Amino acid sequence: MMDIKLVVNNKSHILTIDPSERLLDVLRNRLGLIGTKEGCGEGECGACTVILDGKTVNACLVLAAQADGSVITTIEGVGNRRRPHPVQKAFVEVGAVQCGFCTPGMVLSAKNLLDKKSQPSDAEIAVAMSGNLCRCTGYDKILRAVKRASLEGKE
Amino acid sequence: MKYFQPKNIRDAVEFAKTSEAVFLAGGTDLVLQMRTGKIQPMALIDLGKIPELRVIQEANGSLEIGSMVTFAEMGQNELVYKYAHALWRACQTMGSPQIRNQATLGGNLGNCSPAADGLPPLLALGAEVQLCSGKGEEIVAVESLLKRTPLLSRDTLIQGFRIPLKGLQSGFAKLGRRQALAIARLSVAVAMEVDGDVATQVRIALGAVGKRAFLSVDLARELTGQKVNEAWIEKGIEQVQQVVRDALGARASAPYKRVAVAGILREALASFIPEGGLKI
Repeated sequence: MMDIKLVVNNKSHILTIDPSERLLDVLRNRLGLIGTKEGCGEGECGACTVILDGKTVNACLVLAAQADGSVITTIEGVGNRRRPHPVQKAFVEVGAVQCGFCTPGMVLSAKNLLDKKSQPSDAEIAVAMSGNLCRCTGYDKILRAVKRASLEGKE
Repeated sequence: MKYFQPKNIRDAVEFAKTSEAVFLAGGTDLVLQMRTGKIQPMALIDLGKIPELRVIQEANGSLEIGSMVTFAEMGQNELVYKYAHALWRACQTMGSPQIRNQATLGGNLGNCSPAADGLPPLLALGAEVQLCSGKGEEIVAVESLLKRTPLLSRDTLIQGFRIPLKGLQSGFAKLGRRQALAIARLSVAVAMEVDGDVATQVRIALGAVGKRAFLSVDLARELTGQKVNEAWIEKGIEQVQQVVRDALGARASAPYKRVAVAGILREALASFIPEGGLKI
């Protein structure tokens, strides 16, 4: 066992973990942040995407120990029902959510893109979202939602 | 399982010498292999906290890339774009943004998947790899290292790569089953030295054709010292198809890859040669 320190959604945690635990397990099982989903568990689908020190990663492929000392944003830190993030608002308005399982990862990839570049091109949006798979909504509405979020307040 | 997080290379090598530990780079392959039970290490040596392994710099006539530099970092780096264009291109399509943010060039070599996207560019560009173990340091061409079995002893640390600054033009293309998140079914990296419209040196490496990426000596010989035009490209295609035929033999994927490699070579060449060939 080992101790690690994580700052998750602006809250500091000191946790005693097994070195083989994945960041995904620690977020879901120890911190109760079950908005981060496990889809494929092998880095193919992006459902477990979180932002780690300003970069999106698949939480199923990162050991919690590797993330020691990092700052992490999960979907719980992005927005909520009463105060949704512009990306979340756009996803709802455009209808870019069907079953919703991939949505937390999608929102984090989109948020991270817009944090770095507020007015991305369509091609940049497509690349930023390329690590997140959706099996029911279809990608058109998702890409449109990200575009809409990028235009928020600018029209 | 124990977990070491050394702050420098010396300590990392020391841990490796005295324990049955496995080096952990980005983890995008290893974490998964641990999960499925394919690898069950007694201990891990996480290389993520060693700053000197994360450097990209131009030094001593080479482009030096530390083993813990991620694909995302290389794919956004101007030196890599300029001096190792094939590698830069490979970084744009490897895995997904999330995987590129985590996966490292050293890990790509250490895991040495047949489909490793980073290896054909390193081969074509004539890269050397710097290794470090209890026995000392060793610098070896990636080409030679890939012929060794096992690739590396358990306690050998991949420190970084050196790509000679010889003014090579280079390109890369891969075939996947989809655009993103695709494991390469076939990849081609080409690097060449050009004088006017003549290719004075050609190096072509193939990935996902057999167990490990390799450099084709035959192709290099056939294509060196000639004018780069459409006929040259056609000759290259004919030759590369022969190379794939020889390498794959009777494997089930052979008929498909033998044909598909024509398009992938053409695409790799088109990634840095204008249509119709070089003109003076």
